[in-house]
Amino acid sequence: MWYSRISISFILLIAFFTCDAQTCTFTVDGVVYDEASQSPLSYVNIYVQETQSGTTTDEEGNFMLENICPGEYHFILSHIGCEGKKFHIDIDQDTTIRLALSHTHTTLGTFTVEGKKEDFSKQGNVSVNRLTIEDNTNLNISGMLENESGIHLLKNGNGISKPVVHGLYGNRLLILNNGIAQSGQQWGNDHSPEIDPFSADKISVLKGASAIEYGGGNLGSVILSEPKKIEREPHLHGQVNYIFDTNGRGHTINARLEKYSSTIPWRLNGTLKKFGDKSSVDYFLNNTGLEEANLSLQLEKSWNENLFFDFYASTFNTSLGILRGSHIGNLTDLEAAINSEVPFNTEDNFSYDLEAPKQDVSHHFAKAKIKYFLKENQTFEFVLAGQLNDRKEFDIRRGERSEIPALSLRQYTTHLDFKYAHYINEDWVFKLGSQNVLTDNTNDPETGILPLIPDYRSLRNAVFSTVSGRVHKTALHFGLRYDYEYQNALTISSTLPREIIQFENRFNNVSALIAIKNKITKAHSISWKLGFATRNPAINELYSAGLHQGVSGIEEGNINLNTEKALKNTLEYIWLASSKFSINALAYFQRFNGYIFLEPQDEFRLTIRGAFPVFIYQQTDANIYGIDLSSQFTLSPSLVGVLKYSYLKGQERENDTPLVFMPPNSLFGSLTYRVQSNIKLSEGFRMEDSEIELTNRFVFEQTNILPEQDFIPPPDAYNLLGLKFSTNLILPKYKLRFFVKADNLLNAKYRDYLNRQRYFADDLGRSLSMGVNLKF
Amino acid sequence: MKNFAYLLTLLLVCSFAFTSCDKDEPMIPNPEEVITTVIYNLTSTSGDVVVLSWQDLDGDTGGDDPVIVGGTLGANETYTGSIELLNESVTPTEDIGEEVAEEDDEHQLFFETNLPGITVTYDDADGDGNPVGLKTMLTTGDVGSGTITITLKHEPVKDASGVAEGDITNAEGSTDAEVTIPINVV
Repeated sequence: MWYSRISISFILLIAFFTCDAQTCTFTVDGVVYDEASQSPLSYVNIYVQETQSGTTTDEEGNFMLENICPGEYHFILSHIGCEGKKFHIDIDQDTTIRLALSHTHTTLGTFTVEGKKEDFSKQGNVSVNRLTIEDNTNLNISGMLENESGIHLLKNGNGISKPVVHGLYGNRLLILNNGIAQSGQQWGNDHSPEIDPFSADKISVLKGASAIEYGGGNLGSVILSEPKKIEREPHLHGQVNYIFDTNGRGHTINARLEKYSSTIPWRLNGTLKKFGDKSSVDYFLNNTGLEEANLSLQLEKSWNENLFFDFYASTFNTSLGILRGSHIGNLTDLEAAINSEVPFNTEDNFSYDLEAPKQDVSHHFAKAKIKYFLKENQTFEFVLAGQLNDRKEFDIRRGERSEIPALSLRQYTTHLDFKYAHYINEDWVFKLGSQNVLTDNTNDPETGILPLIPDYRSLRNAVFSTVSGRVHKTALHFGLRYDYEYQNALTISSTLPREIIQFENRFNNVSALIAIKNKITKAHSISWKLGFATRNPAINELYSAGLHQGVSGIEEGNINLNTEKALKNTLEYIWLASSKFSINALAYFQRFNGYIFLEPQDEFRLTIRGAFPVFIYQQTDANIYGIDLSSQFTLSPSLVGVLKYSYLKGQERENDTPLVFMPPNSLFGSLTYRVQSNIKLSEGFRMEDSEIELTNRFVFEQTNILPEQDFIPPPDAYNLLGLKFSTNLILPKYKLRFFVKADNLLNAKYRDYLNRQRYFADDLGRSLSMGVNLKF
Repeated sequence: MKNFAYLLTLLLVCSFAFTSCDKDEPMIPNPEEVITTVIYNLTSTSGDVVVLSWQDLDGDTGGDDPVIVGGTLGANETYTGSIELLNESVTPTEDIGEEVAEEDDEHQLFFETNLPGITVTYDDADGDGNPVGLKTMLTTGDVGSGTITITLKHEPVKDASGVAEGDITNAEGSTDAEVTIPINVV
């Protein structure tokens, strides 16, 4: 088969020539290149585990090892700003190899017209590699993306955060876990995506319209969390990871085991976390701990040349505390809490206890995929997946009822996907597919509270088609998708006597995409994407009814909402000035008709608990636009710098008023110094790739907001300095990695506009993390 | 597992056969924790009874307006006050006041008024000797009209400055009830 059926990381080009197997005269040479940009990488360290010797690539990425004996070898590659990688190679003759590394920094990694068969629709503008994931497993999946341009986090305290891409999140941002749209209670601003990042090898973000294949309703960007294929490595390999955080006294333990066994290749991931109260500069943030236990299993099997089978199952279980002082009553309480110097109910003691208010969430996921090769160039894919999201939220209640959830939802989702792909010739690919998704959401009446979200069942049937191809140096991609959605919701009347009111809705959604990428010269490339999508109102936007304790507001759905329409224009320019300097600039403009948002109402509602502000879902016409800039510069073989800037503005068109909850602008910079020489401690023990990384993130004040749009003005700009030291210890059979990291090194006191806790408390003070990672 | 199998069958049936896929009717939860009614019973030394009340049967999101009943008090009088907290949205009516009395250390009622002559003092205490406010003494001053605001706090900081004397300023905690009722002093 002429294209990679199983992603083999290296291609062996074998030079035929006979030789006496006993002599150590073989030569291994080759080139190391960046997986995404396909450009060669200089100064890559190559270490052969078995011979405990190594070399470094030259300016053109070439290397050569001489006098190699026949046998099995493990090559360990490492490079500044790259994820280290191990390759298993059998050598019985002179060998030329091409080895790919994936870059940590993302500037280079987006444009590959020349790489022929890569999946156009999956090219990320931003991706986080395995090394970054391993070093940050103390964070959640959103936290991994925080420093990337164009990406922000919407938080509730520090354990709960969801990603925001180009100002969109929740119902408008698709998160794909293993190729399946993550299903859960996406509507909640205080609901984190329930994915364990440790089980992923790559987390990427596709900005701009791109996800015709994956799901309708999303209006632009997509986040992909993917494990890699199980390496074709016959031995058992694995790793254990442990991180301790001083802030919150948190412990994170991960383990991964994998084997390309001849019966069935498998990989197992597990994570355990326990954090206690985090602290701001001046006080503990009581009840902000968390507990988490996750497990995932990945299996692959191929029976013959034509039939491949993938299986993935995971379970994610967490208990997340919410700052005690952010749970308040009515508007009077909110004002008192805002004016209080220290959050209400702050205690002097640290504790691991988790009490109400808190969230207990479990998410179980299973997916089976069958890929069948009809012919050499035609494939047929069938995917079956199921998800169960079980969410319980606990409030402080009277009479021992804090043990009873105030919100208890159980959501089942089943997916059925078919996809046919025809690789017409070297340049053109045609895809046709369908998707059926059934969602069933049920409230448990154990709460004794009228549900915020009604019971519902929704069915989505979709068909799509994409064509991608290449004409000279221009890559083209077209896509069209149609989604039909049926909703059946059962709400409970707000007036007495309580009755059940049934709603049935039928929606039609259309998405279309045109993308053109042109590599003008070797150094300059430009790409343009135009995407149109419609999104029907979600259940929460139509029918939610109730009090959101954390924001002390009454939220009400609006049954008169119509479908939201968005047109997104993205223009990206990449300049690879030299192997030492590159710039990536991306500008976007998204025009909405009928943008659905929560509008604060003029009057307060008088309840027995006092007055509450009322928010009702409304529609308006709006624009969201911005620029993401990133640049990477290599100052010397051992010094690399990165700069990233994001600018965003969201504005209602009719009255020219700002949109609320839009991310403030931010500037991120990092400087990484790598110790070039490796230190040989004793025979077989080496210390290598020691790095010092200095990072700085400056977040501007959100000035595009009117005073009447919020209870308090947006917080001031802030600056966070970080420092990290990491090193690797290479032992004969193991690799040990150590790191020490300081976040908010200067212990800056700050509040973040997108963190809902900002009404009540300062953000986190200084935190040190120490990590150790053992690979075998 | 059984649920998944069922839903998967449903998915297949619904997607391709276009038959009914409607959701079963939910159970209406029993909101036993809700306070629908606050009643402040005042009895003067001469035996006159005044009942102030605030009632909202359909709760926070309900469409109906609350029913507020004010009262007229005599000038320069002393009244014995008692609070009733009820949940009238369930049958039989639930006495939330009993719950508050059981967890008296976690609750406190506050009485604020914009009529200068009126003072409310506590006439009960929890196990720690801190006031609760289910029983009070109310004295009136000169003639006037205004309002009285009764607030039930859950988990207040009872030992904070002024809280034991009925000053809500430093009480923190969360508000379970806050009602404002008109009063006249004649």
